[in-house]
Amino acid sequence: MFDIVLFAVFPYVAVIIAVVVGLYRYFNDRFTYSSLSSQFLENRILFFGTVPWHYGVIIILSAHLFAFLVPVLWGDLIADQTRLYIMELTGLSLALMSIVGITILIARRFRNVRAKAVMSFMDWVLLFALLTQVILGFWTALVYRWGSDWYLHTAVPWLYSLLLLNPEIQHVTALPWEVKFHMLGGFLLVLLFPFTRLVHIVTYPLTYLWRPIQVVIWNRRVAK
Amino acid sequence: MALSRLRSIALASLVFAALLMAALFITVEAAPPNQSADEGATLFKEKCVGCHTIGSGKLVGPDLKGVTQRQEKAWLLSWIQAPDKMLAAGDPIATQLLKEYNNLPMPNLGLNETQVASLVAYLEGIDAGTIAAPVLPTAAAVPEGNSVIGKELFTGVNRFQNGGPPCMGCHSVGGLGALGGGALGPDLTTAFDKYGGAAGLVGFLNAPPTATMNAVWSRQPLTADEQANLMAFLQSATATERPVEALVPLTVLAIVGALILIVVAQLYWRKRLVSVRRAMVTRSRIS
Repeated sequence: MFDIVLFAVFPYVAVIIAVVVGLYRYFNDRFTYSSLSSQFLENRILFFGTVPWHYGVIIILSAHLFAFLVPVLWGDLIADQTRLYIMELTGLSLALMSIVGITILIARRFRNVRAKAVMSFMDWVLLFALLTQVILGFWTALVYRWGSDWYLHTAVPWLYSLLLLNPEIQHVTALPWEVKFHMLGGFLLVLLFPFTRLVHIVTYPLTYLWRPIQVVIWNRRVAK
Repeated sequence: MALSRLRSIALASLVFAALLMAALFITVEAAPPNQSADEGATLFKEKCVGCHTIGSGKLVGPDLKGVTQRQEKAWLLSWIQAPDKMLAAGDPIATQLLKEYNNLPMPNLGLNETQVASLVAYLEGIDAGTIAAPVLPTAAAVPEGNSVIGKELFTGVNRFQNGGPPCMGCHSVGGLGALGGGALGPDLTTAFDKYGGAAGLVGFLNAPPTATMNAVWSRQPLTADEQANLMAFLQSATATERPVEALVPLTVLAIVGALILIVVAQLYWRKRLVSVRRAMVTRSRIS
């Protein structure tokens, strides 16, 4: 019964809230759709946190999404020991890099007075939720290897069953608790999305691709 | 920002979502089907034949002929419902069985109470002679296997006909080399003997009983040839190399990989602190 609440009810609740509140925030408070960057307040340490964090986590998240969208292709890709090992090692390195990144970001928010001053309660919640999630992911990948393979036969069928409104939780309920927490952690982050600065995920400046050209003219005296 | 309004709309959608889901599940759960020996027979084929026969001898687990006379009904019900909890609680019969069967614990099958009652009704029917015992596949029916093909199936070089995942995704085994196989499931280096040789394994591979394997393999079962080849490989693996412990090399490699990536980022963006403003100031001074 508890499993039903966690793996068949909670994901829907998280997604519904994320969509409803996300849309509400977009139409009523559009200018809060921002990462609220603190780069002006502190720029030196930020680099060592934000670069490893974002490059690591975006690539890993894309791999999760890609394997979910084309599981057969992904299965063929790793159905070879060498390719599997390369994939897993790349993933583990990126995961570790993102853990290092977010740890630096958290430390920076604690230690830098100016960066700390602009933090809200939800900012702290988000930072620690992300840290927990990447640590659980790294742990799962390392201790319960090879996740790039069994993900296709546990989480993926579960997620598809959720998508088809016919939850089949038996694919995931017998997995080790760290793995289950990682899966639920994903939906927890979905739930946190509209209440935190995580909304900046959808603010990627795509319109730059088709906006009119801007001519920038510098006015300065020509050196003689 | 209008945080209080955001909160109230969040609360409203939470209540709405919770009500929706509750309604959905109440309708689904409202009418659990009654127990029946027929349902028990179906469940037995899906969940139990991997380890048990009825009257054809031991496999991984005991022969269940006469089990309803050997054990109390209440014990059977709670054992099938949650063997893991019974073992953890140190139930004497459970502990004795575990010892007797190679320390291979019976997995929790994830059945609900009605399903467990159906299974027990089915077993009672067989013991009372009102239901015929099932005819199960035996090792004698399995063709001769090829251990080389078996290894290819295990690692994924050769894919399973019905689309199942390579064993290596979750299991390691002796002789795989490099970083070995997966660690989600148990290491299978000694599985051939531990699961009672071909006779025990054939049942297991036909209908893997553990919850996670059952969910994967009930939809894309192994063919008879694939089972034979895998068994041949597992048998040869038993006698070969020791399994590789990959945890330490993997951790070290991951640390090295992460360090390289961070150093590359630092080198690539090393000029980032030369700000636009500083360049402009310099330029204005020159002119």
